[in-house]
Amino acid sequence: MQLVFKLHTLKQTYGTACAKKRLHTLRVLSSVFCILFMELEFMEWLTPMTAIYAAAVSVPLLLLLYFLKLKRREQIISSTLLWKRAVQDLQVNAPFQRLRRNILLLLQLLVLLAILLALAGPILSLITGPARRYVLLIDRSGSMNATDIKPSRLEAAKKQAKVFVESLRSKAFYSLRDESDQTMVIAFDNSAKVMCNFTSDKKQLNRAINAVTPSDGISSLAKAIVVARAFAQSPGIEADYMSAEEPARLMLFSDGQIRDLDQIVVGPDELTFYCTGESQQNVAVVAMQARRSYENPEEVNVFATLANYGAAPITCNVQLSINSDVRAVKSVTVPPRSIDESKDSVLPGKLALDFSLPYAEAGVLEVRMLLSSGEMDCLSCDDAAWAILPAPKKLSVLLVTAKNKVLESALQACPLARLEQQSPAQFDSTDPNDLNIEHRYDMIVLDNHVPAKLPKCRYLVFGRPPVGIDVSAPEELENQVIVDWRTKHAVLKYVDLTNLFVARCYKMILPRDAEVLAEFNETPALALLRRNGSVFLLAGFDVLQSNWPFEPSFVLFCYNAAGFLGMQLGGDRDMNLKVGEPIVVEGLNSQITTQIDRPDFSGTEIRSSASGSLRFPGTDRAGTYRLNIGEQPVRFFAVNLLDSKESNIEPQRQIVLSGQEVQAEERELSRANLSLWPFLIGLALILVCLEWIIYNRKVRI
Amino acid sequence: MSLRRKKLTDLLDPVFMSRLDRLDVLSRKILQGKLQGERRSKRHGQSVEFADHRPYVAGDDLRFVDWNVYGRLEQLFLKLFLEEQDLTVHIVADASASMSFGEPSKELFIKKLTAALGYVSLVNNNRVTISFIADGVTVQLANMRGRNYLDQMAECLLTTDCDGISNFDDACRQLAAGRIGSGVMIVLSDFLFKEGYDSGLRRLIGRQYDLYAIQVLCPQELSPDLSGELKLIDIEDADAAEITVSAALSKYYKRNLTAYCNELKDFCTSRGAVYVLANSADSVESLVLNYLRRIRLLR
Repeated sequence: MQLVFKLHTLKQTYGTACAKKRLHTLRVLSSVFCILFMELEFMEWLTPMTAIYAAAVSVPLLLLLYFLKLKRREQIISSTLLWKRAVQDLQVNAPFQRLRRNILLLLQLLVLLAILLALAGPILSLITGPARRYVLLIDRSGSMNATDIKPSRLEAAKKQAKVFVESLRSKAFYSLRDESDQTMVIAFDNSAKVMCNFTSDKKQLNRAINAVTPSDGISSLAKAIVVARAFAQSPGIEADYMSAEEPARLMLFSDGQIRDLDQIVVGPDELTFYCTGESQQNVAVVAMQARRSYENPEEVNVFATLANYGAAPITCNVQLSINSDVRAVKSVTVPPRSIDESKDSVLPGKLALDFSLPYAEAGVLEVRMLLSSGEMDCLSCDDAAWAILPAPKKLSVLLVTAKNKVLESALQACPLARLEQQSPAQFDSTDPNDLNIEHRYDMIVLDNHVPAKLPKCRYLVFGRPPVGIDVSAPEELENQVIVDWRTKHAVLKYVDLTNLFVARCYKMILPRDAEVLAEFNETPALALLRRNGSVFLLAGFDVLQSNWPFEPSFVLFCYNAAGFLGMQLGGDRDMNLKVGEPIVVEGLNSQITTQIDRPDFSGTEIRSSASGSLRFPGTDRAGTYRLNIGEQPVRFFAVNLLDSKESNIEPQRQIVLSGQEVQAEERELSRANLSLWPFLIGLALILVCLEWIIYNRKVRI
Repeated sequence: MSLRRKKLTDLLDPVFMSRLDRLDVLSRKILQGKLQGERRSKRHGQSVEFADHRPYVAGDDLRFVDWNVYGRLEQLFLKLFLEEQDLTVHIVADASASMSFGEPSKELFIKKLTAALGYVSLVNNNRVTISFIADGVTVQLANMRGRNYLDQMAECLLTTDCDGISNFDDACRQLAAGRIGSGVMIVLSDFLFKEGYDSGLRRLIGRQYDLYAIQVLCPQELSPDLSGELKLIDIEDADAAEITVSAALSKYYKRNLTAYCNELKDFCTSRGAVYVLANSADSVESLVLNYLRRIRLLR
């Protein structure tokens, strides 16, 4: 419209002859612009704002420089008459004389324009069809740390993901097309982490991909897919008509070693799999345990299993160190993998070894494989395993009873450091705060006594349950027989309750979080409950009202209960964790600040909760974690991979999801669009050369 | 500055002067002089050289009646004689500031040329007037005659400086008003006048002068050696012209210069004047001895 108006004005101003000439020029210009706009439809700009800012600065600067350049040298001549006429002639005779006179400026502007366009990052998109939604699933599990692809499989996968992002069609800044691909990024190991919700902002996507950090966890895809679908159903940030209508395409970047493939169902062509990884060469510690000998608590037994996933046997040294001091080294040869013909699966070559050494204190044990220089090992995070060894602990037990000989003798049979006995009256007269502070007893056995106040401790309770722990005993029952018990629980290990009969017992009504260990026909018989930082093992009956004292299981129960409640004190079970399991510490003072140092020595400050517990979920790398709590001695936690499936790093080119086979893409991802900046820079270079030539010519006249 | 009297030899080479001795100023028109000189005048009068007869008309001087013819034919005829008169040579030299420009300078060239022409004229007993013009007639040496004036002319030439703004029209008006007789007028200038040369020249041509316009330009004007972004400043009125020297601009300058010179030439020839273009880098000697003789200003 403007063009037509301009032409009209031109015709009026210059008459037809002149207007014809200009008309032609305008036609040429308009056709050029048309082509440019058509191009724009397939073109998008990665960083238009950068270019605009740069243009806002550089174009006026260039013009300013040009004006500065126009500071002319003065020259005295006899008469300006002829020169003025010459200049007039020059201007009159050349229609584009202004431009020709400033051809250098024009060229410089063109050079600048080319550079600015290059800065804007124009992309020629070669993808056609409607816009899509994609979910990038990036595997960051332990096996992705393998270094068979330099620097690591995860980095390779991230690189591929970035290439994919580069190829996406983003919402072009000036484009006529309003469709854009939307993408979200999820990183997963045994949990799924949303790095970025659906967006078409490539910068944000690249940032999200860069922010994916490796972990040593096992890989489980199901959670990630659940999360992806949940997000895909809600419209993204840039919601439009197609949101939630078309299923998002899942782009999986992994090595194919995924645990729960059989739990995942995807539609045909919904999942595209890009496989990274080349080698299966890996030696790993797949099992490790350290424990004190039953007979001699001052002797430590360490068991470890090594696995070789490679095709050749591997000889290596296995080193055991306690608190970073090397205590033993064994040279072993791990056999190569074998192929199970019947199941068509690969079995790693395994080797078990054990160390036995005297050590009577607490310590951090490390079993580490030291490969000789020639041996290949692609994954390093499973080359070592750690275990926390507590000091041999003997319990101090307080028995509160009115002369119950049976209980007394049963406890005396247990390996206790100290067994004291108090009558209920004595116990009530003791200030519970004193017991709280001094920690004199590791376990208190209450026999048919309901104290008014309970100091923080671990309790084994016979008879009426104590008050204030949300357990009520409204009535007494008679003639109860045992119907079920949990034989796998540590307290009831080797305990046979088949013949247990109780003449009278309390009907216990337990809160929901209580753990029932054994049940009579009408009421729970044994229950485990944690309240106010204390642990209660409740037996809702008097021992003397039952036939239990005559059963061998009673002594075993007392032994197990003492051991179990002693472990609750600071049991080593909570100190040896798998990757991804949270560090949980109970029984701390409320609202105190603690610091956890990760294996890579980065520290995190954590506050304990009001109930005095501490929870640190960030155990995504294998190694030892240190917990510093104020003045107390440092506590160690061992976090291990110890997973023979995750240590199997053989890349799977084909994954089977609930019976549906998905083949890895054969071709590497390549850009589906063309970056135009190199051409623009080349053009700028040519223009600069041209400018130089013209400048030289002009100066020579 | 030397106290020595300015001599003509400061301007002209003695060898050149000796060659000039053989020359004389030639007028294409036979012009009327005031004193009896060495050339034929248009006026018929008391001279020894017979020219023609014409029939007697009442009132004619009876002394010039050719009685011999009357005796033979019985008709009264008058004898007509050609009177020999001197020639007025008026040399007009431009002394505006623009003449001092150039390497070699146009000023020196013009002064040499004036000296040579003046010398020739004085030696041949012509009446010589030399006028320097800028925004009017600045210096004038009028009615010199004979070799005695050579030194005076030389001193005048050597002491006159070229400065000031040119106003050719005013100068020509003054020249025309103070005209002394008629004869040859030689105008030496670069003719680069912003207000134009035509009205001024028209005044001079209209006065029955045998006019020679010698345009003197220096090599810097004929083929300028300029480059880059320039601010050209006029030496006379400090007028500025901003140019970016390019091949095209140089081309247009030369084209304009040629057109300007041709225009001046056409202006002169169409009005019976003679136009000569001289380059200040050329030698005055060759111009005088060769070119001016060829166009029959000198003989």
